[in-house]
Amino acid sequence: MTSTTTQGEGPTRFVRVGRHPTTVVSVTVVLLLAAVFAVGGKDNGLVTQSIVTGLLLGGVYALVSIGLTLIFGVLGVVNFAQGSMLTMSMYVVYALVSGPGLPVYLATLLAIPVMFAFGMFVQHFLLNRLTSTGSHEGPLLVTLGLQLLIANVLLMIFSGRPKSVGTPFDGSFEMLGAIASYSRVIAFAGAVLVGIALTLVLRRTSLGLSIRAVAANAQGAALVGVNVRRVYALTFGIGAASVAVAGGLMTPFTSLTPSVGEQFTILAFVIVVLGGLGSVLGATIGGLVIGLVQTVGALYLPGTGSLILVFAVFVMVLFLRPQGLYGAK
Amino acid sequence: MKKIASVMTALVVAGGLAACSGSDGGGSSESGTVTIGSIHPTSGALAGVGGLMDDGAKLAVDDINAAGGIKALDGAKLKLSSGDSQGKAEVGQSEAQRLIADGAVALVGTYQSDVTQNVAAVAERGRVPFVIDVAVDDKILQQGYKYAFRVQPDATSMGTSGAQSLAKIGQDSGTPITSVAYLHIEGAFGDSVFKAFEAEAAAQGITSVKEITYPATNFSDATTQVREAAAAKPDVIVATGYYPDGVLIAKAVSELKPDIQGLYGIANGAFDDGSFPAASGESGQNVLSANYHYDANDERVADIRTRFEAKYGKPMETASILSYQAVEVVAAGLEKSGSDDPEKLREAIAGISIDDPLLAFDGPITFDERGQNENATVIVMQVQGDNVEQVFPQEFSTKDLVFPATAAR
Repeated sequence: MTSTTTQGEGPTRFVRVGRHPTTVVSVTVVLLLAAVFAVGGKDNGLVTQSIVTGLLLGGVYALVSIGLTLIFGVLGVVNFAQGSMLTMSMYVVYALVSGPGLPVYLATLLAIPVMFAFGMFVQHFLLNRLTSTGSHEGPLLVTLGLQLLIANVLLMIFSGRPKSVGTPFDGSFEMLGAIASYSRVIAFAGAVLVGIALTLVLRRTSLGLSIRAVAANAQGAALVGVNVRRVYALTFGIGAASVAVAGGLMTPFTSLTPSVGEQFTILAFVIVVLGGLGSVLGATIGGLVIGLVQTVGALYLPGTGSLILVFAVFVMVLFLRPQGLYGAK
Repeated sequence: MKKIASVMTALVVAGGLAACSGSDGGGSSESGTVTIGSIHPTSGALAGVGGLMDDGAKLAVDDINAAGGIKALDGAKLKLSSGDSQGKAEVGQSEAQRLIADGAVALVGTYQSDVTQNVAAVAERGRVPFVIDVAVDDKILQQGYKYAFRVQPDATSMGTSGAQSLAKIGQDSGTPITSVAYLHIEGAFGDSVFKAFEAEAAAQGITSVKEITYPATNFSDATTQVREAAAAKPDVIVATGYYPDGVLIAKAVSELKPDIQGLYGIANGAFDDGSFPAASGESGQNVLSANYHYDANDERVADIRTRFEAKYGKPMETASILSYQAVEVVAAGLEKSGSDDPEKLREAIAGISIDDPLLAFDGPITFDERGQNENATVIVMQVQGDNVEQVFPQEFSTKDLVFPATAAR
């Protein structure tokens, strides 16, 4: 899945935003959607609905992938526990809502530092020694173990019965003739905010500079005085914190079980590689594109067909642009 | 290349880990005890319901032992030996082999059709009776197995009686139903229930105007599918699937407010689940569900459910009652045969008649030559307030049916 993006050694590419891919992607998407409207042979209201649903679903995908693209792009860690961390943050939010009775969005804010600390802990104590030796298999196996651990601890504590979390903004509204539920729109807005915030952190702050430096060349960064291990830990922490936002915003429309997040892991990897390793913008755009492909595609290829379409798009993009949409050569 | 290698390593390791866990030995047949093997997915994605089912079987064993054990065997005690299928057919199969090797005289399980199919094959080879509590696929009993028995209705009978009940509900309420749009999960389960429904519905004068399938994984928004169903302007939207997708469909229906007389589940894993009213809130109100269900008017069921909740701290869902029932079938077989020899036990179960089933069935539990419970059927439930009520047919009803069943909006 990831082979096409590894030229040279190590995760050396990072946030490089050209105008070029955005234009190409948006023109392609608009043209394809126009084609669906014009010659798709489907009811216009239905197509609009699938586009709105697809964009909102894409927002959710983007949220999950933004955290992963940092961890994958900067640390080069294939984080198989991404989905489980998503589940974990959902249960943190669930515990805060069902226990002290906090509103779900406040609970989400509180889950952010919890997951940040968890991410720092994982990187600092479990992964740092392995990542600094440049091993790929080591961290991968650790995250795989972590995934099993999280799922089973959650199963032990909360049992496997499906749980649900209510939201103060229950309901939906009409938008361009399509129905959108408030909680999904909020999740979409959250994805955009997290994307912007992370991009700003990476571009404008000294921490961001260190992260980019480490991503580009860890040895070089260490030589000029960057504490590489600390940057690694912080990056994993930030990655986990974005997952916390994703989990929190998704709980109102998700049935919680200890393995609910795992289905997102594979798609998140697809999106991260599609968008370009380490590119926050790439993960956001990639998420939206995949959400659209899946939902609009389902009109023509129902069932698993829509997922086949997702992977077809993935393969095609990698064929035309092996480094991903926003990855540098 | 290195990364792809590492991904491959991960996948191989993941497979390996899955293969080598569980199994805690024990379970050999001592004198004075009779071992029953129970195979359910107590870890993995289905651990919630799998755990409930295993606990249901445990409670049945405890109750039978407390009442004096198997009288025909001088009060021999039952012992439940549990296996974890992890939701995987091959793991269920090896657990079945282990339990039989450890001396289990009968097996109960397994919740999933593919796991059940493998376990049934092992039971047949080992000549050990296997009482299926939950597993819907018709194919399981089409192999000519002699040792497999199923308590619940199969997919075809659920689709068929689901269609009959729907037609009857329409007639009784003076709003005849002539068309439905059908949403179902991809795979043998959804397909076979839909096919049976479509055939019977046609006979009842109901046209299936639209069939929409959705994937079993990565399905996290049902709005488009429901809108597509609504666009066909059906009288009723019918849905067959599991829990999370069922909740999504109910929510999408209430958001889109299509002009229908109701949302009707057949063999739906969500609509009559105890946690559905809370999970769906307003959108779940008045949703109908045709499914096999415990008989809520039966005093013995009420007693078992109360004690289950006190003991395990969770409400006892229908699947769990079925596991309880399956153990009772085995126990009744032991009483009838007066022997713990698996082959004699099979003979006894094949000719058994259990007159007071815990489920809302048409009559006693008796098995036909395929091993299918002849009187297994579905009843219709409806979400009313915070509860799932039985509303149809009259003899099983706990509350009056509300139809047209549009949600309170």
